[in-house]
Amino acid sequence: MKEEFKIAWRNLWRNRRRTIITSASVFFAVFFAVIMRSYQLGSYDHMINNFIESFTGYLQVQNVKYQDNPLIDNSFDYSDSIASAISEINKVVSVSPHLESFTLASSGTQTKGAAVIAIDTEKEKNFSDPESKLVKYRITDEAIRRLKDAGAISDNVLEKVKKNLGRSYSSSARLELELGLTDEEKELCMPEILKCSEVSNGFLANDDEGILVSDRLASYLKVAIGDSVILMGQGYHGVSATGIFPVRGIIKMPSPEIDNKLIIMTIPAAQKFYDAEGKITSLVVNLTDKSDRTIKTAKARINSLLPDKNTIAKTWYELNPILYQQIQGDSQSGAAMLALLYFIIFFGIFGTVLMMVSERKREFGVLVAIGMQKKKLKRIITMEMLLLGAIGLVCGLLASVPLILYFYYYPIMLKGELANMMEDWGWDAVMPTAWFGPYFYWQAVIVVLMVVLATIYPLRKIGKLKEIEALKG
Amino acid sequence: MKVLELKNVNKIYNSTEVKVHAVNDVTMDFVEAEFAAIVGPSGSGKTTLLNLIGGLDMPTSGEIIIGGTNLSKLKPSQLIDFRLNNIGFVFQSYNLIPVLTAKENVEFIMTLQKWPEKERDERTFELLWAVGLGDRINSRPTKLSGGQQQRVAVARALASKPKFILADEPTANLDSKAATTLLEIMEKLNHESKITFIFSTHDPRVVKMAHRVITLEDGKVISDDIRELPA
Repeated sequence: MKEEFKIAWRNLWRNRRRTIITSASVFFAVFFAVIMRSYQLGSYDHMINNFIESFTGYLQVQNVKYQDNPLIDNSFDYSDSIASAISEINKVVSVSPHLESFTLASSGTQTKGAAVIAIDTEKEKNFSDPESKLVKYRITDEAIRRLKDAGAISDNVLEKVKKNLGRSYSSSARLELELGLTDEEKELCMPEILKCSEVSNGFLANDDEGILVSDRLASYLKVAIGDSVILMGQGYHGVSATGIFPVRGIIKMPSPEIDNKLIIMTIPAAQKFYDAEGKITSLVVNLTDKSDRTIKTAKARINSLLPDKNTIAKTWYELNPILYQQIQGDSQSGAAMLALLYFIIFFGIFGTVLMMVSERKREFGVLVAIGMQKKKLKRIITMEMLLLGAIGLVCGLLASVPLILYFYYYPIMLKGELANMMEDWGWDAVMPTAWFGPYFYWQAVIVVLMVVLATIYPLRKIGKLKEIEALKG
Repeated sequence: MKVLELKNVNKIYNSTEVKVHAVNDVTMDFVEAEFAAIVGPSGSGKTTLLNLIGGLDMPTSGEIIIGGTNLSKLKPSQLIDFRLNNIGFVFQSYNLIPVLTAKENVEFIMTLQKWPEKERDERTFELLWAVGLGDRINSRPTKLSGGQQQRVAVARALASKPKFILADEPTANLDSKAATTLLEIMEKLNHESKITFIFSTHDPRVVKMAHRVITLEDGKVISDDIRELPA
């Protein structure tokens, strides 16, 4: 085997330029395939994290009618013991009760339809953690005036700050990024910008009767902390639900669509408001592992725990069929692109094989004539071809690793028009890569399959080889 | 002792219009340590006969028996192993493995025969010294002259300790000096190792050195001149 490997390896470098070109084509195919796929899957993962983990959850227990008819009438009785039993299931991270409905929110002359999510503030910390989304910085006229008065920042930086007038941020990192400052400007000006743009905010206590209002809705209603918002809607079994709620805090939701209409309150306050004593509309379950298998296993276990046949566990893709289909469709189009890329590369490899067979026909004849069994010769050629693919494959995978790692930990934060467009679509404008998973290893399988497919030709030629004819060249 | 027997061997090529009788009813024996040349004009069937003897081609009729084994009775894979262990080949255009050094080319045959490494090394050095290339063992074929490459090919052919060596026009691509050196080496090896050498050739120098000269014409043996029987 050692001898065969030696011959295969040396054969590979007989035509150095051709080997380099063929390996380079495999290298670029693998490199771009891995990077493209990593970004694609990373974006989906991010979208799922952003949207599902903070809103829908991976699984929800609902009344069977709720998805088709999301009314408070299709709620169910909350049982702490069932929630505890679900939280005991393997790979379940959190179980959070939600009471969700719609209402009209009004303040002064402004009125708008809003989505109400009532939460258990303690349990929600392990799920959407709304406290982390509280607005911490806001670029207002007042903030700009204070920056100008402080005189600690240049006109250039001040202009950049003014471009973001009216925007609010739940983290200093996002603010820093949106301003687009140079490293020097960041070091000199960020402390002052953060100081001047910082806003005070509040959160809900356990049995609070107040509400949190999403940033864009608060802007529309022109309310701030301490103001009151009137909510009007329909409660359980058609009762009129009306109430006045003090604003305890302003939150910034990553999805603009949600940021335009969200009101958060505690479950007791919502049950009182909607006259739905003891009721919830969903029990949101989050998992450690996002694989399809884990989700399906958890779903089956949860369903076995539910005593009421009118309540059922549903997966995130059953709850969001459009989002799921969108991801599937995009993923398949990405896979089709990669298939096309590999298809082209395959012909590159096959071209090399054709040349190699044509050049070495006589040599194959000599080897068999002097006593090498055809199966041994086939092994050498297979090894040679696998090495050819492996060089490009290993280099491609190795070259992609640092990029994947870097952009996994430091995702590209999009700015400008592209970012706005993504936000309009309801996506958070970042581009992370996906952690190494099957997509990474599958490139190896694809390259090996391509090489094996290309190797069939020389193997057949060797199988049919007639020494006399081969020796004539 | 007979190493090779040919009994009524015929080889007929059937092309679409013409039947070519390339080897016509050849019957002959070769004994141990012979230094035989097969001569004849182009198209007389020299190379075809050599290919049949070497098991690279099968006769249309007749038997070729080497050391008691009838080649026609062997399966293709058995025939390859048989060639490996019983026949050495020297080709007109050397046909060394270009990616292996002189040493590795010689060693290669013994690797196929699964010789232990130590014995393989010893024999490789011994053979390369015997063909006068002890100082070029690590050179690849492209770094060797034609004559040197053909000498490596002779060492390779001898490596498996075959019953005989078939050499198809071994001097055809060599200059006069290289051809003479090669022939002297082969004659010496024939004398010392008692291995039978069978040449197909046009080269008068080979004919001059040969102990036996077989002349073919239109596939038939028209003369078999045994000048000197091996001792």
